[in-house]
Amino acid sequence: MRPPRRAQLTDGLIAGLIGALWTLASVPVSAQEMCGTCHPENRVSFEDSIHHAETVTCSECHGGNPESREVAAAHRGGFHSLTNRLEVPEMCATCHSDLTRMRAYNLPVDQYAIYLTSQHGKGLESGETRVAICTDCHGVHDIRRPRDPSSSTHPRHISETCGRCHGDEALMQEFGLDPNVVADYRSSIHGRMLLEEGSLAAPNCTSCHGVHGATPPGVGDIDKVCGACHEQTRRAFLEGPHYEGMTAAAVSECTSCHSNHAIQQFGIERVESLCAECHGEGSDQAVLGHKIHTLIDSASEEVAAAEELVHRADQAALEVEDPMSRVEEAKTYLTEALPAVHAVSLEPVEQLTRRAQSIAEEVEHELYSKLDRRVAKIGLVLFWFYLLMTIAVLVIFRRRLRSETEAS
Amino acid sequence: MKQEKSGALDWFSRRLNLTEIFSLLTSYGVFHAELDSRKNIREAIAEAKAQPMPSYDQWPRVLGLLAVVLLLIEIVTGSLLAFYYLPTPQTARASVATILRDVDFGRFVHQIHFWGAQLLIAVLIVRVVRFLIRGVYRKPRELMWIFGVLLLLVCFHSDLTGKALPMTGTAYWSSVRALELVGSIPIYGSVMLFLLGGGETVITELTLIRFYLLHVALLPFAAITLIYLHFSGVRRLGQTETGSHETPTRGGPVIRIHLLNQAILFTILLGILVSLAVLVPYPLGDAADPYLTVPGVGPPWYLLAPFGFMELTAPFLPTWIGGTILFLTFTAFVLLPFLPGFSEGARSRGLSWVIVAALLAVWIFLTIYGARVA
Repeated sequence: MRPPRRAQLTDGLIAGLIGALWTLASVPVSAQEMCGTCHPENRVSFEDSIHHAETVTCSECHGGNPESREVAAAHRGGFHSLTNRLEVPEMCATCHSDLTRMRAYNLPVDQYAIYLTSQHGKGLESGETRVAICTDCHGVHDIRRPRDPSSSTHPRHISETCGRCHGDEALMQEFGLDPNVVADYRSSIHGRMLLEEGSLAAPNCTSCHGVHGATPPGVGDIDKVCGACHEQTRRAFLEGPHYEGMTAAAVSECTSCHSNHAIQQFGIERVESLCAECHGEGSDQAVLGHKIHTLIDSASEEVAAAEELVHRADQAALEVEDPMSRVEEAKTYLTEALPAVHAVSLEPVEQLTRRAQSIAEEVEHELYSKLDRRVAKIGLVLFWFYLLMTIAVLVIFRRRLRSETEAS
Repeated sequence: MKQEKSGALDWFSRRLNLTEIFSLLTSYGVFHAELDSRKNIREAIAEAKAQPMPSYDQWPRVLGLLAVVLLLIEIVTGSLLAFYYLPTPQTARASVATILRDVDFGRFVHQIHFWGAQLLIAVLIVRVVRFLIRGVYRKPRELMWIFGVLLLLVCFHSDLTGKALPMTGTAYWSSVRALELVGSIPIYGSVMLFLLGGGETVITELTLIRFYLLHVALLPFAAITLIYLHFSGVRRLGQTETGSHETPTRGGPVIRIHLLNQAILFTILLGILVSLAVLVPYPLGDAADPYLTVPGVGPPWYLLAPFGFMELTAPFLPTWIGGTILFLTFTAFVLLPFLPGFSEGARSRGLSWVIVAALLAVWIFLTIYGARVA
């Protein structure tokens, strides 16, 4: 049976009202920005971004008329789709190079200028669109601050972000670049410290290559880049004969021995064979390598023995604070001896290892005599002497008593 | 009317029943004659002196007396240690370290306390084995046996609670293993765990303070009581068939010779104790970390055999059955005199050497097994 006409009309009105309310409720809070009505995915993604949080609007990048709900009207009047990659960095720079706008955020304004000096920027200038532009690393609508742990530019995500292009074998082949750099980095001591141990002190790609000005450091600059963290090592290296010789021969400094991306922690035993690799077996330099290894190795053994003894003394509840701090001092000398090796000379290493070794020997001597407890042992011998005398007297006395008893 | 004497002894004697006090003291094994407390102290001692010593008071049946002396040493050294020890998990190890390092003779007292406990347990084990062999559980010495075995049990508990007190890594995990073992016994285990640490097998503040209370108050009191009861049995019955105390030995030595023997024995004991304390120092060890299991730490050595049994049967017996078997075995051991066929028979004969040797072999095998799996 059909419902009466009036009821149909009321139903239609209610449905229409609900529909209108629904539409009103789902438009953006800002009554002026209508873009999200047609581009909901972009709106959702944009709402997570730092730009949204700082009330940047769609039209500030894309232009057009955001108040219009008509497609044609909205896309009129200086609208940029920004699908042309060549335009993007310049567009970002309109704000990010504007000192008056950026000052309040304490952000640098030279990123665009620096970008133009990078391999990426130079490529873009020459019309190559496959190089990285701002949005490749920072994201498009969902840009987050680098310190946000979910950001693609957070130190822990940098290798992933760079790896999107630099790990792409086909793409890298076209530019004649090694596609294994990211995998190498991840396996390195630096990568493992950052990605596995979570230490933000460990370098990521940008620490060595620069951020916006990404460029591989050249010969003569490598020691400066590595030296930014490995200060002592660099100082020793500059003092030694290697620096001048290697730069003159255009041999990369640090990386020739340590490699670049796949850098691993060197054990001092590596020095045994390393010198001979360039200078030849039996050369003076190879002999020097052996000597340096022996110095550090024997000092480390001595310090380890002292440390073990301190532990033993601690277990026996002896006073160990002073010996413990002295062992720490010896370990510091040992730690300093490793950078000193880079001066490739015996003297600085010998000075440090000798100090470490003599401290360790002193500590061992002191603790051995305490653990040995010679005084207590001498006391024990005297005590037993006294006990035996007592027993002898008691036995004699007992014998006399017994004979008295038997006599009576 | 008796003439009043004026010595200090007599002064006290008129005010206190010294004979009774002396009798109580001698109950701990210095000599075993029963004294008439109605007599004057001088008379009583003169009477005791005149008595020939019964055979059971001679070499080498002095293990009980040794145990008393060792217990006394433990009480004295333990009191000294308690002056400095702080029973909380945070301060325990540090306070023991202070005792060892900074307190005069602290290390020596600590070592004597440790080695005294080990010797005490060794003496009591030898004593129980001797009772087993000599049949000191047959009628009428059932109670002597039970008190003796319970005394050993109390000393085990004292050692267990004492070892946990420094809260070092080994002590901590050794106690945890022991608590786990106790916890495997149905009903009894859960009651004990609840009493000791709120039902957990980890050492908390509560566990530690309860261990401390047991170690310094309840267990020593139990030990003193058990020794008193045990020696009451010895005074009444003697240890063996020939040792009824009315039976003097042939030309037995008088009490002074007996006291001299004891003096020689204690001198040797003192020498052994001091030598062990100086030559084999018991290390303090690292502080306990409840999140870091120290590898290779088993329960204390006397619990290795039950631990080994539990480990051995774990693949094919549920824990509660293993625990029940352990509990029943131990109960049967304590109540040995009341098991059918054990109480009657020639009193001089205990279990045959073969059976004792077999029991010891099983014990040693399980101990070695327990030590290897720990």
